[in-house]
Parts: sequence; structure tokens; C-alpha cells
Amino acid sequence: MGVSKRLKSWMGDVRVDDLRNRLTDLAEQSMDRHLRLAVTGLSQSGKTVFITALVHHLLHAHKSGSLPFFELAANGRVVGTRDLSAESSSPFPLRDAIEGLSQPSPHWPQSTRGLSEVRLAIRYRRAPGLRRVFGDSSTLFLDIIDYPGEWLLDLPMLEQSFEQWCESQRQLFMKEPRRTVAAGWLQKLQRIDWNSPRDDALLQELSREYSTLLQILRRDPHALSLLQPGRCVLPGDMEGSELLQLFPLVLPEPVSSEAPEGSLRWTLQQRYEQYRQQVIRPFYVRYFSRFDRQVVLVDCLKTLNRGEACFNDMKQALSAILQSFNYGRSGFLRRLFSPRIDRVLFASTKADHVTANQHHNLDRFLELIVQDAQRDMGFEGIDTRCMAIASVRATQAAQAHVDGQTLSCLRGLRKDTGEEVALFPGEIPTELPGSEDWTQDRFRFVDFAPHRLPSADLKSSHHIRLDQLLEYMTGDQFQ
Amino acid sequence: MSEQPRYQKAVWVDPSQLDTADKAAENSMSAQEFSLQQITDVVEEPPAAVTTQRLARRKGRWRRVFGVSLTATLIGAVGVELYRLLDWSYTLHPAAGSVVSVLLVVLALSGAVQGWLALKGLRQLRNVERLQTQARELLQHKGQGHAAGLLKSLQAHYKESAARQPLEDAILQLDSAYSDEEVVRFLSRHALTEQDLRARRCVQRYSVESGVLVALSPWASFDMLLVGWRNLRMLREIAAIYGVAPGAAAQWTLLKRVMHNLAFAGLSEVAIDAGSAALGSSLTASLSARAGQGLGAGLFTARTGLQAMRLCRPLPSESHDQNLIKSIAGGIVERLGKSRPID
Ligand SMILES: Nc1nc2c(ncn2[C@@H]2O[C@H](COP(=O)(O)OP(=O)(O)OP(=O)(O)O)[C@@H](O)[C@H]2O)c(=O)[nH]1
Ligand SMILES: [Mg+2]
Repeated sequence: MGVSKRLKSWMGDVRVDDLRNRLTDLAEQSMDRHLRLAVTGLSQSGKTVFITALVHHLLHAHKSGSLPFFELAANGRVVGTRDLSAESSSPFPLRDAIEGLSQPSPHWPQSTRGLSEVRLAIRYRRAPGLRRVFGDSSTLFLDIIDYPGEWLLDLPMLEQSFEQWCESQRQLFMKEPRRTVAAGWLQKLQRIDWNSPRDDALLQELSREYSTLLQILRRDPHALSLLQPGRCVLPGDMEGSELLQLFPLVLPEPVSSEAPEGSLRWTLQQRYEQYRQQVIRPFYVRYFSRFDRQVVLVDCLKTLNRGEACFNDMKQALSAILQSFNYGRSGFLRRLFSPRIDRVLFASTKADHVTANQHHNLDRFLELIVQDAQRDMGFEGIDTRCMAIASVRATQAAQAHVDGQTLSCLRGLRKDTGEEVALFPGEIPTELPGSEDWTQDRFRFVDFAPHRLPSADLKSSHHIRLDQLLEYMTGDQFQ
Repeated sequence: MSEQPRYQKAVWVDPSQLDTADKAAENSMSAQEFSLQQITDVVEEPPAAVTTQRLARRKGRWRRVFGVSLTATLIGAVGVELYRLLDWSYTLHPAAGSVVSVLLVVLALSGAVQGWLALKGLRQLRNVERLQTQARELLQHKGQGHAAGLLKSLQAHYKESAARQPLEDAILQLDSAYSDEEVVRFLSRHALTEQDLRARRCVQRYSVESGVLVALSPWASFDMLLVGWRNLRMLREIAAIYGVAPGAAAQWTLLKRVMHNLAFAGLSEVAIDAGSAALGSSLTASLSARAGQGLGAGLFTARTGLQAMRLCRPLPSESHDQNLIKSIAGGIVERLGKSRPID
């Protein structure tokens, strides 16, 4: 204890924690195989449902046959899976989520409000050729964390100074719909002399207004994603902290001069620094810097429903976020010392909201959203793929016979009203629609209530491509 | 809606007005709602059937005329001779006559059965080839709903075989969300498991056997005969496992193709062989020259068997068979080490 305290006083808390994590990893990795799977997705993109379904299927993989494209399970090589999440200080609420989904009238899990961890131990029989050398069976530990998608938007701020952040926000607030929604607040900011001495009441009032603004922009009809700082949207355990009285200084022209000490501007600057150092950095170092593989969940249908502004905003948010991860080949030594992500899967979630013949188009549309990030990753030599998935199916494929013609359509219960509907939800475009094509009535992706997910005896019809995702993400790890 | 041809719009359709709304829907494929009575669930039957092009078979016209006339002449000549034989035997003695006629009837019957089997085998082999091309096309295809044709042909191919049940089971498990590519991969992985296993065992058994036979036989000049004999039996068995009737004609065609493929083996295979050779060197260090020849013969049989599997399997397989070759080599060496005649 004493040593670590002294070290902390020399090097700063964060560094020591970082170092300690690295050492723990090192010890673990030399004994067992570990795989840290990053599940990245904006809010409401389907992270919690995805993790729940994945873990649920894995826990039954030794007997259920619900993962036919996951070679390990299809070959019957899974001995058993154990959920070790209880060891963590904040375990993932798996039981609640599964209970909600397996009720007679199943419902989706609540939106996540804090961070939680899952750890699975998957025990498997080795491939025939390796048994003689390494023994009959082995264990892979799979680590996943779940967190509110809002917090992800904090990661890009780690790289930005206060001035840079204000500038990027200024660009955003120059465009619709932010400009109109925020007009009143922006005018207020303009009227204030930011070099005048610190006034806590004023800052508090402005930050409260800013938070309200973020909430409005987050909701329908805008449904924007790039909302910073994330903790102002969803404070979690920081509710009421003074650090959250933070907002960007969005003025008509960027201010370049040095802020006088003790002034309003200076105060904001300080808070921003503190927010970065005390909130974002520990969060990043502890949970986000050490992934091996990454799944990026994207809700493409939301953007199609909401229109161009929503699309552009999501695209920008995703590229900003993805720049915060460590990409690069993980050679053996590199892997020991600083693990890097060497494989990324972009998944468009909720694929059950469209008919199966649109899945390929959904892949193509997803590529439009992530193409920049994908290009950069390709440059680093990282494997990427796009896939349309549904973690828990909510619809059933059906056919309508109209005028002697057969049309594929979907049948399911509406999430909001619970009434049964059948519809053809429209075609997914494979190119970016022109601005005049984003009309209200082109797409109709309604949210459905989930099908009941049984607590045992899972089938492959309970998900779409979860098994292929698993195979791509983890297949090469089971040797 | 139809004035907007650039994309297909979404429309809520009031179920009671469906008839009027359909017209527009038909042209533009917009989003629409249906009443629940109107729809039927899609379970395992994929919608559209695929049209497969028949391979146009070209044959020289004169060649056909020649073939037909030759056959006609031969059949005529043989028929006349047989008739004379029958006639003559009756004049000799009625008993001799009846014996000869019984013989002739038996000959005709067995000949017909043979011919029918051969034709069936050939047809099935062609069928396999067609299935494979169709499956390869689907593997390249990104869309959905074109696999029904392949499923039908597969079912027809396995109509009377024991492999029918696993196939039906796998087809039942197909998900309505699978794309064509996924359907093929799923079936390849899950419908043929049993057959793959049996075929691999068969290849392994014959390879080890022929390897050991060659190594232990005292007459070096019979090697080729021995190996050829084992290989032919193996081809028959593999064909039968994958549902190709093992007639002589099919066997012959198969043999020709296998030899052709072996002779023109692609680079990848050469690499595999290099691998197995490297593996062999550690194994063979302790073997005598004769045993080395045995190993060679065994590996040759194994490669023949794997080629035959590839040709008889109705769906293309992606698995690499390096492991099989290794285990076969291991098996032969082990047997020879014990230096015990095969059982
Ligand atoms: N049909 C269908 N809907 C899904 C699926 N996954 C998620 N959803 C819908 O998306 C909503 C949000 O899913 P969550 O998993 O809670 O999203 P999240 O990313 O955890 O969101 P936050 O916790 O708010 O960051 C759910 O309430 C469902 O309505 C899916 O596989 N199929
Ligand atoms: Mg969540």
C-alpha cells in the first residue's frame, strides 16, 4: 500500500492505475487467453440487448445449437460457459435483462444509466491436432463492458483543448437544426463579457439551459448523436457535481486571446480541463484503452427515419469516436504490452426491422456511414466487415398476396401500442439519398416489441447472424 | 407515388382500402401495411425458384450419325447371330434350345439392369456437377430468395438415399433471414456432416491399406495393380456415400476426372503436398526404402480419395484436408512400425 501511495504522489493517480492494470493484464495473459471485446455504439443503438443476447446464447452454447455458424458450438466443442461477472464491482444486470425478455409479455431492457461489466469463461475442447501437445481443453475469458452510449461522446474530447472543442462546437451550432433550437441560448452567450470576473450563478444558469438544449436535440424529431459533454446528457453518479456546469463557448468568432485569470472564460477552461482529467481520462484508461476486438453497433434505420441532419450527425459522431481507439496489428509482444484492436466489425442492428431481402442493402448503407473510419482502419491493416444483425428478433417474415403479386413483409407487435401490425417498411437505399429525397413517408421502420426469448432451449431463429458475428470476432481464438 | 420513379416510397395502407391502394403499390414497391388475414407466414419455403440454364451439349452431327449407324450395324449383326444360335440349338434338341433361350433372357435382363445403372450413375454425376456450379453461383450472390432451385435439386438428388433425412432436417433449420450465400454455407456445413465423416473414414482406410499392402508385398511389379485396384474400390465407395449410383460408367468417368485434376493440381495443392512431404521426412527417416514406397502409395491413394470427395460432393466444401493427409501418413507409419500384416 505504502509503495503504491508513494508512486502515486510521484506519478499521479492515473498513471499508476494504468501501470497496475497493465501489469495485471500481463500476468493474466501469460496464463490464459483473454479477449476484450469492445461493444461500441451510440445511445439506443442496441448495446445492452446485444450483450444480453450474446451472453445468453453463449451460456447455452454447449447444448442448444442456436449458433450454427459459430464453428466451436456447431462442432460440439464447447464444454461449458460460466458467468464470472459477479466478481466485478459493477456486474452487468444479465438476469434482469433476460427475465424481461423471457416473460410472457417480454419487454426490452431499460436504457443504461451506468457502467457494468461481463466476464465469461468459455471452456472448450481443443482442435484435434493440438490436443496431444497442449492438453484436451482450454478456457477463453471474454470481457465485455456495457455503458450508456452518451458517455462515448466524451472520448473525442480527450484529444481536444478547450479552444479546439469550442471551435468544433461552433461549427456544429452554425448548422440546422442546432442553430434554430439554440438561438436563444446563443444570443445570451453573445451578450456576456467573458473576460469579466467569475459569476457562479450565471454559469449555473447557462449550463442548465445548455443541458436542456442537449436533451431537446437528443429527442425526436431531431434525434442527434453528437452531444457533448456526455455527462451533461446523462450524469450517472456525477449528478449535481460542479464539474458538469460546463458548456462550450459558442461565439460568432473564435476567441484566441489568453483568458484573464479568474474570469468567466478562465473558469470554463479550468472546468473543462478538470472534466477531462478527472472524468474522461480515468474512464478511458480503465475501460477503453485495452481492447482486442471491436463491434461497432449502428442503428441505420433511425437515421433513415429521421432524415439527413440525423444521418450526418451520426456519421460525424461515429468517426470522432472511432478515432479514440487503438488500432493496429497485435503481434505477440505488442499484444503483451499494449493490446491493440486488430479486427473490427460494423454491425447494423435491428435488422429484423426490415425484410430479409433488404439485409444486403443495409450492409451497403452502413458502409456509407462508416466509410471514412473503415478506410483509415484498412490503412492500418485491420480487418473490417459490415454485417446486418438482430440480437433479439421481434418480427416474423411473412408474405402478402396483393393483386396476384407476392410481397415480402414483416409481422410483429408494435413497441408503443402492443398492437399487431404487418407492413412492408420500404427499401433501404444503397446510395446516399439526395436532400430532396429525405421525405417523411419514404421509410417506415417502426419499433417492435421483442419476441419471447426462452430461458433455455434457444434456437437460431431467435437472432439474426449473431453466430456469424461471434465466429468473426472470436473464431480464431479457440485453438 | 408513381410520379416519383427515383425511389420507392413508404406508404401506410389502410387495410380496408387495400384494393385501391394496390395499383400504386404495384408500380412503386412502396412501404405498405397489410391486414393480418392477408398474409401468410414464411417458414421454410423460400419464395422464388431459380432458373438454371441447361448446359448446351454440343456434339458433332457426323459423329452422331456415325455412332448411330455403327451401333445399329453391331446390334443387327449380333441379333442375327443370336437368332441363328437359337435356331440352331432348337434344331439340335428342344432341351438345348430352351437352355439357350433361358440364357439369352437372363443375359438381356442383366444387361438392361447394368445399362440402366450405368446411365443412372452418369446422370447423377452430371447432376452433382450441376449442383456444384449452381452452389458456386449462389456463393457469389449477395441477394436473397434464389436458393429454392438448389434446394429442390438437392432433395431430388437424395430422393432415395439415407442422406435424405439429415438434408431435410438441415433445410427445416434454414432461417428465413439467410441470404443465398448463407443458405449454401449452412447446408454445406450441416447437411452433409455424416457423409463427409464416412467418406473421410473410407479414404483413410483405403489409403492406409494400400500403403501397407505395397510396403509388405514381396512382388514390386504388382504395386501399380494393387494400388489401382484399391483406388477403384475406394472411388466406388465414395461415390456411393455421396449418393451417386456406383455403375461402371460413372466410376470410369470419375476416375478420368480425378486423374485429370491430380495432373493439373493447382498451386495450393502443391503447397499442401510440400507440407506433407516435410512432415513425411521426419516420419520416414526410420523407414526402409520399401516402406517409403508404401507411404508414397498411401498418400497417392489419399489424394485420389480427396479429389473424388470433392467431385462427388454436391456442395463445394471449403475445408482443407491437410489434417487428413497427416493422419493418414501417421497411420501408415504406425502400422509399418509394428510391422504386422494388415487385418
Ligand atoms: N427489433 C430489435 N430491436 C432492438 C434490437 N436491439 C435493440 N433494439 C431496440 O433498441 C432499443 C435500445 O436498445 P438498447 O440495447 O437498450 O440500446 P443501448 O445501446 O444499450 O442504449 P443506451 O443504454 O441508452 O446507450 C431497444 O429498446 C429496442 O427497442 C434488436 O436486436 N431487434
Ligand atoms: Mg444500454
